[in-house]
Amino acid sequence: MRFRSKSFGGLVVAAACATALAACSSSSSSSTPSAAATPISGGTATFAELPATTPNYIFPFTSSAYISVSNTDLFQYLLYRPLYWYGTGNQPTVNTSLSVANLPVWSNGGKTVTITLKHYMWSNGQPVTAQNVVFWLNMENAVGNVDYGAYTGFPNVQVTSMKIASPTTLVLNLNKAYNQQWFLYNELSQVTPMPEAWDRTASGPSSCSTTVSDCAAVYKYLDSQSRNLNGYVSSPLWSIVDGPWKLTSFNADGYVAMAPNKSYTGPVKPHLSQFEELPFTTDAAEYDVLRAPSSSSKVDVGYIPSEDLPAKPAGAAVGSNPLPGYSLAPWDDWGISFYTMNEQDTIGDHGAIIKQLYFRQAMAYLLNGQAVVQGPLKGYGSLTTGPVASVPATSWLSSQQANDAFPYNPAKAKSLLTSHGWTVTPGGTDSCSNPSLCGTGITKGSTLNFTFNYVTGLAWVQAELTQLQSNALAVGIKLNLKPEPFNTVVAGYSGNCVVAKIPCNWDMADWGLGWSFYPDVLPTGETLFMCGAIANSGGYCDKNNDSLIDQTLTSSNLSYMYSWQNYLQTQLPVEWQPNAPYQITEVVNNLAGVTPQEPTLNITPENWYYVK
Amino acid sequence: VALYTVRRLLQAIVVLLLVTMISFALLRAIPGNVAAAVMGPNVYRDPAAIKLFDDTYGFNKPWYNQYLLWLSHLVQGNLGYSWNLNQSVASLLGQRIIKSGILVGISVILAVLIAVPIGMLQAVRRNKFADHFFNGFSTIFYAMPSFLLGLLLILIFAIKFPIFPAEAPQGLGLGVIFANFNAMILPIATLTLITIALFSRYARSSVLDNLTEDYVRTAKAKGASERRILYRHVMRNSLIPVATLLGLSLPQIFAGALITESVFNYPGMGLLFYQQAQKEDYPTLLGVVVVVAVATVIGSLLADIAYAVLDPRVRY
Repeated sequence: MRFRSKSFGGLVVAAACATALAACSSSSSSSTPSAAATPISGGTATFAELPATTPNYIFPFTSSAYISVSNTDLFQYLLYRPLYWYGTGNQPTVNTSLSVANLPVWSNGGKTVTITLKHYMWSNGQPVTAQNVVFWLNMENAVGNVDYGAYTGFPNVQVTSMKIASPTTLVLNLNKAYNQQWFLYNELSQVTPMPEAWDRTASGPSSCSTTVSDCAAVYKYLDSQSRNLNGYVSSPLWSIVDGPWKLTSFNADGYVAMAPNKSYTGPVKPHLSQFEELPFTTDAAEYDVLRAPSSSSKVDVGYIPSEDLPAKPAGAAVGSNPLPGYSLAPWDDWGISFYTMNEQDTIGDHGAIIKQLYFRQAMAYLLNGQAVVQGPLKGYGSLTTGPVASVPATSWLSSQQANDAFPYNPAKAKSLLTSHGWTVTPGGTDSCSNPSLCGTGITKGSTLNFTFNYVTGLAWVQAELTQLQSNALAVGIKLNLKPEPFNTVVAGYSGNCVVAKIPCNWDMADWGLGWSFYPDVLPTGETLFMCGAIANSGGYCDKNNDSLIDQTLTSSNLSYMYSWQNYLQTQLPVEWQPNAPYQITEVVNNLAGVTPQEPTLNITPENWYYVK
Repeated sequence: VALYTVRRLLQAIVVLLLVTMISFALLRAIPGNVAAAVMGPNVYRDPAAIKLFDDTYGFNKPWYNQYLLWLSHLVQGNLGYSWNLNQSVASLLGQRIIKSGILVGISVILAVLIAVPIGMLQAVRRNKFADHFFNGFSTIFYAMPSFLLGLLLILIFAIKFPIFPAEAPQGLGLGVIFANFNAMILPIATLTLITIALFSRYARSSVLDNLTEDYVRTAKAKGASERRILYRHVMRNSLIPVATLLGLSLPQIFAGALITESVFNYPGMGLLFYQQAQKEDYPTLLGVVVVVAVATVIGSLLADIAYAVLDPRVRY
């Protein structure tokens, strides 16, 4: 997972058309100018950064403190191409055209994977080689568990040996056969080839690309170089790129300018002569510039603050746009959203109550997700229906999980409680009158009275929880809402309290951002829902679920994926809640190629071009 | 005067120490976890991340040890490192202080130049139309939040009548600001109008007090013209409370600039403080506190020196 900010809520081309301008214009959505428009070569396109989220780390081997959309997707990937690119149009799938390597070839019963690189060149004239990939893998082996923000154990756990078969061919031998799709989407997704010139320390060239023990010192040096923001443009290290863009200006306040990399050997050469990213203090300040462009300031690709966004009519792709000259384009991210109920709760018998499936299901029936989407999310959100993201719909989503298993139904919630020994007192507080039905560890007279810690600053989360509080009270469940700063909620409740050794004395929590599937793109549940996973914040533990997850990790058969998500959808390890879009993008009408936007939140401005 | 200055400087050091100590303790009392603030949900991705972060930045030590460490670095001119922004605090402040300094400096100078004559005019024309007019003017702007005034100015002068840009000059350094000074008009106007309202009321009240003083009657008795009395005698004495106010209101003006900076997309010191406070970026917060505290102490010292210039009876 990667920490991402969202513009929605008031805090805050596609790779598919990688071949030609004409292709871009024909496949774009409503924000794209008509096909009759004449493409223009050159020009500067400006892209608005979300408030207070500016790029500030250039080294792609990014630690937890700096791994973010603004650093990786919107900055590093434009300069340094990852081994595999995820995002094909509006799908989070691997993009074979934009990837630096061909799809991996499997042999030896699935225990050997061969990766062949395409012809890519670094801007210093060196080719991108298998050794550049090993450079990354060695570094991850050496310091990944501490210094790489998306570390999953790869490659240490799975890769027993690696061999450079030719300058462009790398062979990895694995300890066992894995789900090949999982290995491609969740492990190889981390890799970005690094040029040989980066293999050095302050005292001179080093050998991390051949000797793992040298990597710690190399990492330390490169990390220190990435802390000199004012030196990014002139740095002899960071100016070596293999992506379509090279950095021409970088201000520590977040302003970024890039020009086309003339040595780029990838599939689509930039059409623009310059691409700029602009920092903003608030979304209102960004919107003012959208509304009043001047000779000194303009935004071509920006976002509309949620408070200025008209509601979208049901069934429409987008609602009306208050900005003349721009088109709206919702940008959904590849993730799920939920709130957590703590099964390891140490307050009275709250943990025992939350462990009861019927109680979790009753809570699910009390959230009116459709009303949240139509109300505070103004029609632009989507329901989370299970552990696999449902927007965009992918082949990984089962037909069962495509439907909401718990549509708003307070009568069912009440029925679940009464049938399990609770005396329901609408407007009051329910109490357990029959402990044998209430469940293990729940005593007679226990009440349904919980504290719900939630994040401040996200208007739609506040509105949703107020609705939930009211609905719950109607069936006698008392939720005491407690707003807290984001970092308090994240630090206190987003980790498995037993594993992370943090206090377990909390009931329910919502930090609003849910979980993003990137750079581990395949939505398998090992990091979020397995027993003992540190990010399993509610402490849900079910051996059957673990066994189903294991099957998804070792077999590419989609039926295993479906079996797992169908099971977990109704088990409610967390409570599914609607997901807000990453942002509602505003694209100036004479700029083409911006849409569709990739749900992995990558951007490809090399596809953008102005039209007459 | 030298002895006085040395005494005041020593007092200033004690004040600064107390300010930093109290700020440090208060910042550490904020609930939450710094590592989580920086890493977000990633914090529980990697069990080693929190420990590494705490070890690196000394958060595993008692707060007083952290304070002493910070203080020892400060003495050596090292204000620390912002892990959120991946820059040294000195570098961050260096970028922002110029921006805030220009915005606040020009606004305050303009405000004083406009407010003092207005205050004098109001006092001289007491209970006449001019007095009522400027009273209304100052009351409206005194009561108006700076974000509202800023948004109104943008609405009128950037959107309805596109005369000025909606955002302040972008980029770092003086050159960028002065090359596009047209874009500074609206932010400066916002802060100036708010500050005029504050100063003009003080100036009016002070002039009124002085007009009833014996020395004014004496000057009149000696045949001095009204103009001479007003500009040579009353104005000078009336400026004393304004000078005090000016020195002590620097923190408030910086705070007001925060809103103006935010509305006009002009990342200065106030906004830096606000944004990093939400991320528990202690080194940056303390850096801003130190700068504002030093500015306030210097402002207060300058106000005292101004007394001596304005009032010959004051001797140190």
